[in-house]
Amino acid sequence: MEPVPRKSEVSRNPVAVDFEALRADFPIFATGQQPLHYLDSAASAQKPACVIESISQCYSHDYGPVHRGLYPLAESASEHYEASRRTIAHFINAARPEQIVFTRSATESINLVAQGWADQYLQPGDEIWVSQMEHHSNFLPWQRVCKNRDARLRIIPLDGEGLIDLEKSKGLFGKKSRLIAISQVSNVLGTINPIREIVAAARQQNIPVLVDAAQSVGHMPIDVQDLDCDFLAASAHKMCGPTGIGFLYGKSDRLAETEPLLLGGGMVDEVNIDSSSWAEIPARFEAGSPNLAGAVGFATAVDYLRSIGLRAIEQRVKDLTLLAYENLSSVGGIRLYGPGPGLDRSGILSFNIEGIHPHDVAHIAAEHGVAIRAGHHCCQPLMQHLGVSSTARASFNLYNNEQDIAALLAAILDAKRILGHQ
Amino acid sequence: MSNDSVYKEVLLDHFHNPRNKGELDDMAMVRRGSNPRCGDEIEVGIACDNGVLETVRFRGRGCSICLASASMMTECTSGLKLQQARQLIVRLQQWFSNTNNEMPPNENLTALGIIRQHPARKKCVLLAWQALDEILDEIEDRSEASNP
Repeated sequence: MEPVPRKSEVSRNPVAVDFEALRADFPIFATGQQPLHYLDSAASAQKPACVIESISQCYSHDYGPVHRGLYPLAESASEHYEASRRTIAHFINAARPEQIVFTRSATESINLVAQGWADQYLQPGDEIWVSQMEHHSNFLPWQRVCKNRDARLRIIPLDGEGLIDLEKSKGLFGKKSRLIAISQVSNVLGTINPIREIVAAARQQNIPVLVDAAQSVGHMPIDVQDLDCDFLAASAHKMCGPTGIGFLYGKSDRLAETEPLLLGGGMVDEVNIDSSSWAEIPARFEAGSPNLAGAVGFATAVDYLRSIGLRAIEQRVKDLTLLAYENLSSVGGIRLYGPGPGLDRSGILSFNIEGIHPHDVAHIAAEHGVAIRAGHHCCQPLMQHLGVSSTARASFNLYNNEQDIAALLAAILDAKRILGHQ
Repeated sequence: MSNDSVYKEVLLDHFHNPRNKGELDDMAMVRRGSNPRCGDEIEVGIACDNGVLETVRFRGRGCSICLASASMMTECTSGLKLQQARQLIVRLQQWFSNTNNEMPPNENLTALGIIRQHPARKKCVLLAWQALDEILDEIEDRSEASNP
């Protein structure tokens, strides 16, 4: 495959983007249940019509098996699949398209590194470091591999603002440290972690870094060469793409050190009764018939986000989050989690209201047409740190607006009226 | 007011003024039910005399539906024979798993019906009832052990 040509980011001036008009790109706001104030994009984002149509177009006009046929439909299917890979590679500025492995999800991507890479090299007494804020997807795979290899899972603690505390992480860049696996953006706190700084310090000691970018890719400009991370995992569905597809980015030498998780069709070079050899990278990691429509929809989502501009999206979402933060701060008895005013944060805002269970807040919000999440958000170690069993969470994306925040505030006040102590 | 509003009022009344909520130190048997997904934790305690549930009490924390349902359960099951309590639990479980659309035979439970539209909260409704169910299991086991 050819190296990906790097074009300068084509982004509109943030001021010039009419985000209100972009809502019309998302059919759910016209055809779904009304009103819909969708504030659960950190769980899964809504899909623009272009993504939905690209999937339909793929199945209606361009569908065939990928890398398995010699007739025109099969050849064009293969080309569309690889073109999608190039689009993703370009999007995150990977040096080469084959550094992008299509997976089902960010979860699968992390499991591939845990079982296909870490499991081979981990020795008793070695350490893998994660942070206290990790999603279970970036926690459990490491917990298991450490247990299996008598290694130690170590935790980067958080401070009162929900920022990682590197000073209290003695040994993070030490001799026993074999991998640092950390999220770029917390799915509960909205904290943005200083990945470049962590990688730079880790690089000095030759410690690989995996970035869980499930909440960051598609929400801010990402450049894997600039980050210099070894692995990076993300899902399409949180960035306006389809469910069922994600990717693992890996530096070429790291991917060469990784064993495939799944064995089967399409990932072999030669199969004999006694032994077999694997196909080239990334095919060796993509056993089974590839998710063509998913890849096509994913690439369309990427093109859509690029056409708006990642910086513009990032700024819009930060503005909305700040507005929500300010509005919610005025509610008596509310506790807002994560970085406070003046500190950088992404479009995720978790909160609790004294004396009211977050499930009740979400239930009453639903009656106002406001979709928020309530629960532990697959972050039980973080909940333990916060001293709660669950939180309510509002999360924002490019299609949200000020009315969504007003509706959220009204719902919260209603919850207090109904369920507050009388 | 619509029926839904009336039922909501019933549930809210149980949430704000829970019946039979308190310490369980003097209860003969206590069982804990928990839902780690949302942090609900309910303890149910009973005192039983001659095959009849004399007292059913609960304590704990949870969402409004979990607490209201526990409160309603204590009212509906106090004074029932063990077998009757078991039947009521089974009927409520069937009602919420949609295997039996007929309401459980106790009109005080009618209000819980509005939660049937919210399958994600089924566990909130049933938590206290499951704890009581486990107490009844244990009573049965004990009685079988003493009368083989």
